[in-house]
Amino acid sequence: MKPQLTLQTPLELPHQEISNYLNQLWISEDEERSGANTFTLMVWQPAWLEQCLVKSGLISGPITGTLSPEIIKIAKKLIIDKGLSHTTSIYSEELLILLKENLSNNDFEDFRGQFFESSISTLNPRRLITLAPTLNKESEIKTFVSAYCPLSENTITQPICGDLVVIRGDSSSINQKGLKIIDKLSIKDLPTWLWWNGNLDESQEIFNYFTDQGIRLIIDTANGSPKRCLRILDQSIKSNKAINDLNWVRLKSWRESLAMIFDPPSRRPILDHISDIDIDIAEGNFLQALLLISWISDKLKWVFSKIDKHGELIKIEFKRNNGDKISTCINPVPLGNPSIHLGQVIGLRLISKISEVPKNNTCVILGCESVECMRLEAGGMADMQLIEQVVPNAFSSSEFDVSKLLGSSRGNTSPLFENSIKVAVQIFNSFNK
Amino acid sequence: MPSTLSNPLRLGLRQERVIPPQCLIIFGASGDLTHRKLIPALFELYLQRRIPSEFAIVGCARRPWSDQDFKEKMKAKLANQISENENEWEQFSNYLFYEPVDLQQSDHVVRLSKRLNEIDKLQATHGNKTFYLSVSPNFYGSGCKALKAAGLLDDPKKSRIVIEKPFGRDYSSAKKLNQIVQSCADESQIYRIDHYLGKETVQNILVMRFANTIFEPIWNRNYISSVQITSSETVGVEDRAGYYESSGALRDMLQNHLTQMLAVTAMEPPGKFEPEAIRNEKAKVLQASKLADENEPWNCCIRGQYAKGGNSQKRLKGYRDEDGVNLNSTTETYIATKVFIDNWRWQGVPFYLRTGKRLPKRLGEIVLTFKDVPVHLFESTIINPAPNQLILRIQPNEGATFKFEVKSPGSGMKSRPVEMEFSYDESFGEPSDEGYVRLLADAMLSDPTLFTRSDEVEAAWKLYTPLIELMEDAPWKLPIQKYESMTWGPPESDQLLSKDNIFWRRP
Ligand SMILES: NC(=O)c1ccc[n+]([C@@H]2O[C@H](COP(=O)([O-])OP(=O)(O)OC[C@H]3O[C@@H](n4cnc5c(N)ncnc54)[C@H](OP(=O)(O)O)[C@@H]3O)[C@@H](O)[C@H]2O)c1
Repeated sequence: MKPQLTLQTPLELPHQEISNYLNQLWISEDEERSGANTFTLMVWQPAWLEQCLVKSGLISGPITGTLSPEIIKIAKKLIIDKGLSHTTSIYSEELLILLKENLSNNDFEDFRGQFFESSISTLNPRRLITLAPTLNKESEIKTFVSAYCPLSENTITQPICGDLVVIRGDSSSINQKGLKIIDKLSIKDLPTWLWWNGNLDESQEIFNYFTDQGIRLIIDTANGSPKRCLRILDQSIKSNKAINDLNWVRLKSWRESLAMIFDPPSRRPILDHISDIDIDIAEGNFLQALLLISWISDKLKWVFSKIDKHGELIKIEFKRNNGDKISTCINPVPLGNPSIHLGQVIGLRLISKISEVPKNNTCVILGCESVECMRLEAGGMADMQLIEQVVPNAFSSSEFDVSKLLGSSRGNTSPLFENSIKVAVQIFNSFNK
Repeated sequence: MPSTLSNPLRLGLRQERVIPPQCLIIFGASGDLTHRKLIPALFELYLQRRIPSEFAIVGCARRPWSDQDFKEKMKAKLANQISENENEWEQFSNYLFYEPVDLQQSDHVVRLSKRLNEIDKLQATHGNKTFYLSVSPNFYGSGCKALKAAGLLDDPKKSRIVIEKPFGRDYSSAKKLNQIVQSCADESQIYRIDHYLGKETVQNILVMRFANTIFEPIWNRNYISSVQITSSETVGVEDRAGYYESSGALRDMLQNHLTQMLAVTAMEPPGKFEPEAIRNEKAKVLQASKLADENEPWNCCIRGQYAKGGNSQKRLKGYRDEDGVNLNSTTETYIATKVFIDNWRWQGVPFYLRTGKRLPKRLGEIVLTFKDVPVHLFESTIINPAPNQLILRIQPNEGATFKFEVKSPGSGMKSRPVEMEFSYDESFGEPSDEGYVRLLADAMLSDPTLFTRSDEVEAAWKLYTPLIELMEDAPWKLPIQKYESMTWGPPESDQLLSKDNIFWRRP
């Protein structure tokens, strides 16, 4: 989907004048053209990688905040050229550190907050607020505003309009001044979402400021340490705040593919005899796999019993209510390719032992479409009944996933996710005791 | 047989659209449909957690029930469904309200409007309203007018009306009813129910046709020689003689359910999966449909009425001996007809439609028969190679079968037919009977895809106008043929096809 640009060039205004200006904007027009009755979306948009690439001359500006195919291509190439491990994610700190070594001091045009995907704009957000921290230290807060009316295909209906605000400056000035500006921009009676489009370990004060407000959160737990991410998830559900995780959203085709295998009633008994589950992931972050195992164990009503770490392997054991043991294992594997997101699931093998006779037992293998996942099939399961399924790669952009969440969520945490978080936190805590 | 819902890994996986806060007002709340279909469907939606907390169901009918009466009557009628979910029912019943209303008394509707304001505040339903007319068709027009007069339909974004079948008795009455209804509300507010479109397997026809590459290229006159659409019931008229005597098989089944199946089977692919795009294509194909012989319609239609039958254990009465049926009744309980579709895709391909009561099996199916191969290279183990057939089973035993020829094992090169089978049961478990669940949810979600638009209804009536006129003006030309109960209709119905060298498929 093409990014959509505002119709009006954003106007730079002193921040004291913003809320007045926006109020005027909607009052002075005729009554028909009131703002959309939808929601406010705030985006934390550091785009460090893009800023670094532009400032080091590796791509031409302006900075947009969108992860373009060009950025992905160049970042992947850099990882290999600079001799980083092939599994390095393009969001990794190592890559940024290398890039920061030779940045120019020039200023580049910064369009963050003015570009947003049409999948989001068609939802007619009433107000889009972008927090755009800059690489340059000591840059003062600048604020921009603009009104927008997404062009709709349906020309009969009155366009539904919204406005957007961009708050730009270095992280500390955003923290000190930016958040005060945001305070004044909240629209009563409309829900507010925060999409934290960056690493969860950084700028924690700013993040915490939002969580204290009871805003609905969209985060990506592939981008942050599992400990910090699980704490955020845990606190959100304990305090009854809506949380959505793109790392969980990307598991959707795995959940769907696994469920699909057991739709035929004749296969349901397999579920009662599962003895082993192995999950292969891309190196670097085990949280997504932990959420997948937590979801399966919750749905099949297994009880967690213990967790062990053997080098890179994480072994988790569960019990069924008849006392049977289920061994599961998260196995990080090196990939031949730098990834976009760390620790994504690439394969799953499930073994169900119904009887001593091997051919009555079942081995289910789910693999992603790329070559790496074939390794699970080499396990000598040939004498069992084999069910194999290819899980389509999720190619959608984070923006698209976010728009899906905005369009469908009731503003509470999905019960499925909530239950999986509870199990994942229990497992993780016992590991760190 | 368990359904997909009992797959533990599937629980909660389906991302259902969320029904927005609103008040659902059911007229005819003391009637048969309300407790047999509507409240069970709403309770099912509640169990699936798809009902928002800001919600209300307001039952209306003439009898002077209280809110409490309504709750108790529904609880008693639904006892079986509730027994496993007592607690959930108690929660659900908090949504139930009742207001005595005679739709013919305008002051009643004004009073209702006041009550709805109170309930709206109480339940925080944001002024959103869906009106469901589950009353006699005589009240559809006057009901809409009364709602309009009370200002209840003024906001096209916040109010909708759902109208039950039958919509009209013929082309002119349907057109008139459309005019009345459309003078009260915008077409986008009107949801005409055809519960066949709520069936998973009817919707699956669209998916099969348009989500696969292999079917569309052969889905036309070049490859298909004929299409049969059957919907048969084993039951007789039961206790609905009053209604059935004035309706008959044409109005009760053919004009709506079978014709909708025809539309879904024969329509062109829509440009997008959007309600208006789909309904445009359905309307177009119905407008292009004609009886095979419009001038002498008796040549392309057979009417029948069940006579007594059954066996020594169970004797079955003939239609005319049923309670409430006129001894000389000429109401048809069976109808079969032949239709052509006048467009590029279907020119010359006959569509045979049949429906009836007291037939040997309860079933709905669509059979596409493909053309013969140009040269028969192989001898068949039976007399002639059977033509390829694609059979779409709507109910029961939902699924699809493809019949084709393979080499018969052994020496020689003889061919014999085999079947390739998709069974809904085996793949997904039993399909839930969710016609009304689906349609109620869609109406409350303002999604009109599975509802019939005014032009579709009118085109469907227009298609059968020559038959209806004949039945009224010269019924002797379209005589009622008797058929023994539990047989496949009158023998004459076979002749309708044998003239074309075809036979009804014996399911
Ligand atoms: N039942 C089915 O299986 C079925 C299937 C398909 C379509 N339909 C259609 O659904 C509709 C309802 O069918 P049904 O079988 O439920 O009919 P029903 O059992 O005869 O119920 C009719 C309802 O209308 C109410 N009513 C009658 N006159 C009224 C008036 N002046 N003002 C307000 N309410 C009035 C009656 O209650 P009071 O006497 O208390 O007023 C009763 O609740 C019909 O259009 C029918 O064609 C029914």
